Amino acid sequence: MDLKLRLADYFRTNADYFNVEIQLLQYRVQVIGLDSLVDLPQSIAMLQTQTTNMVDDSLSPDSLLKIIGQLVDPDLGAIVPDIIKGNLIVLEPLSGTCCAVLPISKVVTRSIGPAETENTLYGSSSSFLEDLNTNIGILRKHCTSANLKVETYKVGKSNPKAVLLIYVEDQVKPALIDNLRKKIEAGLDKDIQHLQQLEKILGSNPWTVVARFNATELPQNAAHSLQQGKVVLMIDRLPFAVIIPSLIWDMFCMKDDHNFPLPFMYLIRLLRILGALIATIIPGLYVALVSVNPEVLRLQLALSIAHSRQDVPYPAMVETLLLLVVLELILEASIRLPKSIGPTVTMVGGIILGQAAVAAKLVSNLLIIVLAGTTIASSTVVGFQNSVPIRVFKYLLIILSAIYGVLGLLAGIVLICAYIGNQSSMGVPYLSMPSLTQKDEPNG
Amino acid sequence: MMIIRTPFRWRMKLLTVSIILLPLLSGCWDNKDINHRALPVIMGISLTEHNQYKIFLDIPSTDDSNNITIVSGTGDTINEIIDHMSMNMESQVDLLHLKIVIVDKNFAQSGMQDVVSAFNRSRDISSKTLFAISEQPLEQFFSEMKAKTLNSGNVLYDFFEKNAGWNPQLADTRVWQMFRSINSYTHDVIVPLIRSGKTTNIECIGSAIIKNGKMTGQISPEETLVANAFYGKSAYGKLEVMDSATVQIISNKLTHKSWMKNDQAFLRSNLKLNVTILDSKGHPTEQEIKDKLEQLLTSRLEHLFKQTQQDEADILALGQYFRNDLTREQLSRWRSEYYPELDFELKVTTKIENRGNLKNL
Repeated sequence: MDLKLRLADYFRTNADYFNVEIQLLQYRVQVIGLDSLVDLPQSIAMLQTQTTNMVDDSLSPDSLLKIIGQLVDPDLGAIVPDIIKGNLIVLEPLSGTCCAVLPISKVVTRSIGPAETENTLYGSSSSFLEDLNTNIGILRKHCTSANLKVETYKVGKSNPKAVLLIYVEDQVKPALIDNLRKKIEAGLDKDIQHLQQLEKILGSNPWTVVARFNATELPQNAAHSLQQGKVVLMIDRLPFAVIIPSLIWDMFCMKDDHNFPLPFMYLIRLLRILGALIATIIPGLYVALVSVNPEVLRLQLALSIAHSRQDVPYPAMVETLLLLVVLELILEASIRLPKSIGPTVTMVGGIILGQAAVAAKLVSNLLIIVLAGTTIASSTVVGFQNSVPIRVFKYLLIILSAIYGVLGLLAGIVLICAYIGNQSSMGVPYLSMPSLTQKDEPNG
Repeated sequence: MMIIRTPFRWRMKLLTVSIILLPLLSGCWDNKDINHRALPVIMGISLTEHNQYKIFLDIPSTDDSNNITIVSGTGDTINEIIDHMSMNMESQVDLLHLKIVIVDKNFAQSGMQDVVSAFNRSRDISSKTLFAISEQPLEQFFSEMKAKTLNSGNVLYDFFEKNAGWNPQLADTRVWQMFRSINSYTHDVIVPLIRSGKTTNIECIGSAIIKNGKMTGQISPEETLVANAFYGKSAYGKLEVMDSATVQIISNKLTHKSWMKNDQAFLRSNLKLNVTILDSKGHPTEQEIKDKLEQLLTSRLEHLFKQTQQDEADILALGQYFRNDLTREQLSRWRSEYYPELDFELKVTTKIENRGNLKNL
């Protein structure tokens, strides 16, 4: 069968497949590609401009095609990947030669805009896109070091994707980069569609609660971590940079802080640490004080808490869990919902949490305050992925507090500390300071 | 065929089992929430004619009425009475928040060693609980308190609270100090003596001298202030100086010198007071005020000392300064032999730090 027919048969079910015949010099050639990726009229115009300007018009088809593109074997297996990648195939039917041409492609990426999931106060507000090349461009603008290295890997079998490994050579520890390189090379045949698959390739325990890497949409954050000696991974079509390793200080510090005067920077970071502590401890403390150890409270406070809990039918733990679940539902719903419906959820949630639950004597007044404080505090940490472990840890503390009171709370905190202390990401302990990832200063 | 379990699966199983067992082991269903506990603030103890305890509990209510409930019961031991009360109440009586124990004067005079030791050893009653003695019979005291404190449950508690209604004219004695006084050879305490007042809720009429858990005498509020100054707890106490001025104590400092000679104890103390003048009458000079003040304090303290020597109750804990000089056997006779014979001289030096709000005297 003719190659043209075979191609048409192969792409039978693809509506955007096209195959047109145009005149290049003295030859009639077939131009083949995918309409959705190739801007056809512009590309044809480009081809024709290229050929009409040629002085020597007695070229063989072979050498003509060699000039305008890259020769490929005229068989299905070689041509199809090129077409899918978005290249244009030019086929001269008489001689059977064909070549792949880099066409003028259609724009399928959005333009650079502000970040959607992270806010900056003073820093640059442009964010990463789905397109890898643009991302590298933005990153290079932010990190102007001559030692910035970008390594490319093609990862995946059925859905191959480009993965970039970016680091600053004189900052990063060689052990870390070697380790990463080895892991990626060993996992070249595994697909990467999401971060869990990336985790699998990097070989970390998938059941860990603490974030193994930080994902950021902001090029300034990525550039900052590169300067700190961390490694940035970028995956095609994921509009964020993955920063490895993730450390506990990433929860509390970000590049933007340095735009404040120094005292404020420290105060703000202190506030974030306080927020993380409040969010994990306060709900458990409430349960412990109300149901197991009321003697710790001052008398006046004990009486007013007892007053506010009058007629509440449930024990403190059930009460707290009940309201926490509602809060988590509201959080989850407001992420999912389109912006036009979002306010409805907020409003309805506000009614439940604000007054109705108390008026119905389901929960006590104080609990509303405790949980509202908790929710606000848990969002003060940097990065959404870092606020998730805090949300999880508080349930452990609530359960232990309900059973053993203040002692249980303390035991829970010790457990959490031990767990965090046990974590490491790519061989770097989670509790280490950012400077530890850096390469030692050379002597002299 | 043997099934080989990986260590990981083993661990997961062990973890699951222990998580399931955790609630079973803990007995957390026995925890009572705070709104199901009655939290008495004040406990009154008196003796009936049949030598039984009668207990009053003052429980602030937690509903909107803000009333206080007075519960009383009679029995042979305190725990028995409380248990009985708990049975008859809709919530569990929880003595964790007990702040004040008020005993009846008769009971105090007949000795309360058993009660104090029991309180100090009990796990639910804090050893920081205050002690007070009521001049009136407790029935009368509590019914008048209830009538007066319609809208606030913790008036009596605030009366003794350092950051609320406490004054240096009030003695401040805790259960552990009572316990110490029972078991120590050289340490006695004073306990506030109160009754329900005519215009105010409570009226303080001085302090009771407690020796070995037994009330032996009584001193006035002014003497209590001096004793508090001796303990170093007199800050911002006010003194009237014989028709000429009122001064306020800003700070005090006490130094001692003690020695034994011919089996007699000697003690020389120097009390340095920094005071400020609040008001004056008839244009005295600073020196006059100073002299009068020193004279007044010395005579008050001497009077206090003489009285306690008669009672053989060492409320100023002067015996502490002879612990190095006496053997334990001698110390056991401190109250009865050495203390009444103690040669004690107190020198009061005052410094008028500023005239306060007065432009001229």
